[in-house]
Amino acid sequence: MSQHIYGLLLVGGKSSRMGTDKSEMVFRDGLSQRERGLKLLESVCDQVFTSVAEGEGENIIPDAFGNIGPLGAIASAQKHSPDAAWFVLACDLPLLEAEHLETLKAAHQPEHSATYFSSASDGLPEPLCSIWSSSSALAVTAAIISEKRCPRSVLKNIKNGQALPTPGLWPLANTNTEADAMEIRARIDNTITEKTITLSYFAQLRELTGTASESHTTSSVTPAGVFEEMRAKYQIPLKRKGMMVAVNGDFTDWSHPLAEGEELVFIPPVAGG
Amino acid sequence: MSFKLTETTIDPRALCDAVRSPSAGGFASFEGWVRNHHQGRDVASLEYEAFPALAEKEGNRILEKICADHDILTAQCQHRVGHLEIGEIAIAIAVSAAHRDAAFAACRAIIDQIKFTVPIWKKEHYTDGTSIWVKCHNCATHGH
Repeated sequence: MSQHIYGLLLVGGKSSRMGTDKSEMVFRDGLSQRERGLKLLESVCDQVFTSVAEGEGENIIPDAFGNIGPLGAIASAQKHSPDAAWFVLACDLPLLEAEHLETLKAAHQPEHSATYFSSASDGLPEPLCSIWSSSSALAVTAAIISEKRCPRSVLKNIKNGQALPTPGLWPLANTNTEADAMEIRARIDNTITEKTITLSYFAQLRELTGTASESHTTSSVTPAGVFEEMRAKYQIPLKRKGMMVAVNGDFTDWSHPLAEGEELVFIPPVAGG
Repeated sequence: MSFKLTETTIDPRALCDAVRSPSAGGFASFEGWVRNHHQGRDVASLEYEAFPALAEKEGNRILEKICADHDILTAQCQHRVGHLEIGEIAIAIAVSAAHRDAAFAACRAIIDQIKFTVPIWKKEHYTDGTSIWVKCHNCATHGH
């Protein structure tokens, strides 16, 4: 008998960078991210549950391990229904489509402990849209006990895990920051226009990209979008958090609306003095 | 008042002379030197690279802001870029004020803020032949 697939929507995140509850934000079809996430899961799962930090109710699974992030949510679900395979989905991926979930489900076989996409930017597992078989429970529990609670590392090291090629940069783009939300909204509203900008690189970024300056045609609407493109292109091992960005020779926000001909410089943590 | 990048040896005496004033009763300076060790590793030499236009713009903004916040007369700063040997001066700051408290406080505030926001990066070459761009997220607070 094939394993049941249950859906687990993650809504328990702290949304600290957005400053608002991401699960209640509406991006598409007049549905909140929570409602849309449940609908996506319902299209591929036998039954669907919502993971919350705390609370109770029908089809609600509260975190049984305290506020330790997605891995605690997954472990709580596995405790709830140990025999099911859990389709885990974060609520803040507005550009994700049912077809992406179908791809994962079609590829997942009972012998796989987990099935997941690889990240477009660094090739590592994308844990926030992934399937976890009951055979992954030991690795999940072990990671929690040893306080190595990064679900990405668990997937990377798990036996019999299955990595699928990335669906691209945007389907798995989340809405962590205002700039992310702008990029995503522009794609949903189809208001993107191509523009050509100049990218200049210094220090480690100059070495990583192998160039001091390049012209780049992009459909991104903010420096954040361009950074994600370049991160994927050059496998840049840096994240936006902690970095600054300059446009036309001065600091600006990651959510600056890019215009034709602007000059962009990404600024990793500085080390002068 | 000026913040400048330089590819040649810094002369701290020249910076001192540039802030000299008949109304100054106190002078404070800071020099950052190239040290032969960092986080337990033996450093052979250093390289600094800047985003020049913004480094000078931001450096000057810092000097102006701190001069406005503290009761000082003027300030000068130079930061090296390029290859530096152990013992060389990486950065020099000179501040003059009517009284010593303001000179000390401003000098300290300038170096802390420079480490925090001026787009300059440091590559360390180690004695074992390896080298890395220093990830100094918290240099300003760690006091490296």
